[in-house]
Amino acid sequence: MKTDKLQQAGNSSVETESKKTKTTVPGPGSKRTVGNIKAADPVMSATDVNVYYGDKQAIRNISLEIGKNEVVAMIGPSGCGKSTFLRCFNRMNDTIEICRVEGDIRLDNEDIYGKDMDVVLLRARVGMVFQKPNPFPKSIYENVAYGPRIHGLTANRTELDEVVQTSLEKAGLWEEVKDRLDQPGTGLSGGQQQRLCIARAIAVSPDVILMDEPCSALDPIATARIEDLIDELRKNYAIAIVTHSMQQAARVSQRTAYFHMGELIEVGATEQVFTNPRTKLTEDYITGRFG
Amino acid sequence: MQISTLTLIVLAASAVAFYLGKRRALNLVAGQGGPRSLHSMPGFYGAWTALWAAVPALVVLVSWVFLEPLILRALLVSSLPQDIQSLDPDRLGLLLNDIRNLAQGNIVSGEITAVQQSAADHYRHFISLSRLSMVVVCLALSVLALAFGWSKVSPTLRARNRVESFVKVVLILCSSIAILTTVGIVLSVLFESLRFFDRVSVSEFLLGLTWSPQTAIRADQVGSSGAFGAVPLFTGTLLVSSIAMFVAVPIGLMSAIFLAEYSSPRVRATAKPLLELLAGIPTVVYGFFAALVVAPWLRGLGDSSGVDVASDSALAAGVVMGVMIIPFISSLSDDVINSVPQSLRDGSLALGATRSETVIKVVLPAALPGIVGSVLLAVSRAIGETMIVVMAAGLAANLTANPLQSVTTVTVQIVTLLTGDQEFDSAKTLAAFALGLVLFVGTLGLNIIALYVVRKYREQYD
Ligand SMILES: Nc1ncnc2c1ncn2[C@@H]1O[C@H](COP(=O)(O)OP(=O)(O)OP(=O)(O)O)[C@@H](O)[C@H]1O
Ligand SMILES: [Mg+2]
Repeated sequence: MKTDKLQQAGNSSVETESKKTKTTVPGPGSKRTVGNIKAADPVMSATDVNVYYGDKQAIRNISLEIGKNEVVAMIGPSGCGKSTFLRCFNRMNDTIEICRVEGDIRLDNEDIYGKDMDVVLLRARVGMVFQKPNPFPKSIYENVAYGPRIHGLTANRTELDEVVQTSLEKAGLWEEVKDRLDQPGTGLSGGQQQRLCIARAIAVSPDVILMDEPCSALDPIATARIEDLIDELRKNYAIAIVTHSMQQAARVSQRTAYFHMGELIEVGATEQVFTNPRTKLTEDYITGRFG
Repeated sequence: MQISTLTLIVLAASAVAFYLGKRRALNLVAGQGGPRSLHSMPGFYGAWTALWAAVPALVVLVSWVFLEPLILRALLVSSLPQDIQSLDPDRLGLLLNDIRNLAQGNIVSGEITAVQQSAADHYRHFISLSRLSMVVVCLALSVLALAFGWSKVSPTLRARNRVESFVKVVLILCSSIAILTTVGIVLSVLFESLRFFDRVSVSEFLLGLTWSPQTAIRADQVGSSGAFGAVPLFTGTLLVSSIAMFVAVPIGLMSAIFLAEYSSPRVRATAKPLLELLAGIPTVVYGFFAALVVAPWLRGLGDSSGVDVASDSALAAGVVMGVMIIPFISSLSDDVINSVPQSLRDGSLALGATRSETVIKVVLPAALPGIVGSVLLAVSRAIGETMIVVMAAGLAANLTANPLQSVTTVTVQIVTLLTGDQEFDSAKTLAAFALGLVLFVGTLGLNIIALYVVRKYREQYD
């Protein structure tokens, strides 16, 4: 952990240099954001994103990168647009009729809102875990096999079995369920269900995993397990997590982004944001004087 | 005094009681803390007194109205001479009727004898006595009960809870009336059916292959032996219902899926009520549509292609019945599909499934029990449907699975059996009850299964 943080700090100082070249064309949003929006090894990058629900603007000019092997935590008071912003990365906002997204979001330098982007494939590459565990009313096996099946990722049953097993193992659930794969996923405990949903998401081998308050419906023990799991998953995936728990953000993330009323106020290395916030708004929020 | 006037007076007393009870409650606490020291709001003390004033009196009134004729009759009979009392019940009944008519100044059959005249005078006397005492008793009861309720009013009286439990009793009474009525109907159908099964054996009725319910009215009549094998009716019903479900299930289900999953809110807002409008069309309209438009059209189609189509084919009735049932299925399934949690759809879409994959692999399986339930309800609706088949399906009890031929259904036969001129206790008439019983048992079974399935499904998400 410690070394990661150090590395991170080193990286961001390197990044500041590259940022200088970019600031020649600053978006209006980046004026407001304090800190470095850049990731060491970006997988996804959002630039000047605006989101509207009908006439109401929910996201104002936000730019942020999500890097490989890192966890980005998004914090902020309720209703500030964290979920909305997160859902831009896998275009889940498309399912909301009145929602309109502007700006540029790239996955491996490919515009995900571009004409050529296949939303179906995008969502296979950018997985999502929801606030409330939402296993399908199918067996545990079928839950995990769902993604590989619809995308035709496996050629035969043995391969599928393998994918199911490795996904469950990665999600730290295999030992608990290996004897009852044919039982309904809805019969598991809340924490197990959430890990099943994580296994379901990684079964399609995504590059990025988005998590929207994945522990808010869980007890502290299940939460601790998921947090360990997130730390483990970081080795293979880029992860963005929305959370209301400052402790959780501090525990699992390398970088933290603080949102306020649709704007990205501050972003930086987690340690720095929590120990030495650079804006008054962030400081008020993390010291509990807000929200 | 008229009963309606009496009722009004009692209700008026009750209104006064409301005012009195409320004022007493307020007066009792006037100097000591005001309404806040009352257990309940002042209005509840009013309602408490009002109920006392109205309910006992009305209960007595109602029982009086029901019991009066019985008591009067007994009194009247005992006042008649011994030789008339020992007449057989039918003749006695006629005589009593005459006396009653005479007393009320109505037309009487035959000559009026002196005995009848005096009995009628007696009867008139009894009636006026009864009416008078009814008025006196009711009013006295109303006033006394009012006084009792009023005297009970005190700041600690839990008027609110008492009124509440009275409301509960009323609700229970109402629902038991509904249940008792159903039970009564079922029992009467059951007993009439048993009478039918005295004449025709159960096995002949349920397994016999010929249905020809014309029985001889006179012993010397020919050609009307009566055969009560109901199998052709069952198969006819099944055939028409299957055709209907064949039309209704796919169309209804698909429109439900479209409405719930694909349509924009604007389309949905107009399309759903339009579809439900179909359910509002009277079945008789569907009936003549089937008989006058669809059946001739099918027949013409058959003629021009060399297929023999009966002018009252099962197909015509079934298709139109199916159209009638579409909104039933689409509306119920739409509700069921909508109650599948959005989080399941999101979960599937977020894994990169398309909308139709999501519908087929996640939404429909999750909604399936509910959909099955709605289809079962629709089937029981189809089996019990009468008007369309009366008008469009035939009367010929053919045992066939060919939808182009004419068949008849259980409901059609019940209608025809009861619309002829027959004695009420002939086998032919009683057969209608037996058919009704079969119909009832069948649809009841379907409904129970459907409700069970639907309830089971609900538990899944609650
Ligand atoms: N489907 C929607 N239709 C209209 N407005 C919406 C919709 N979803 C969110 N909003 C609005 O967008 C803003 C941001 O909402 P969002 O759900 O992103 O907040 P959040 O930061 O995730 O809050 P929380 O922490 O409570 O989950 C809010 O003002 C909200 O009212
Ligand atoms: Mg949220």
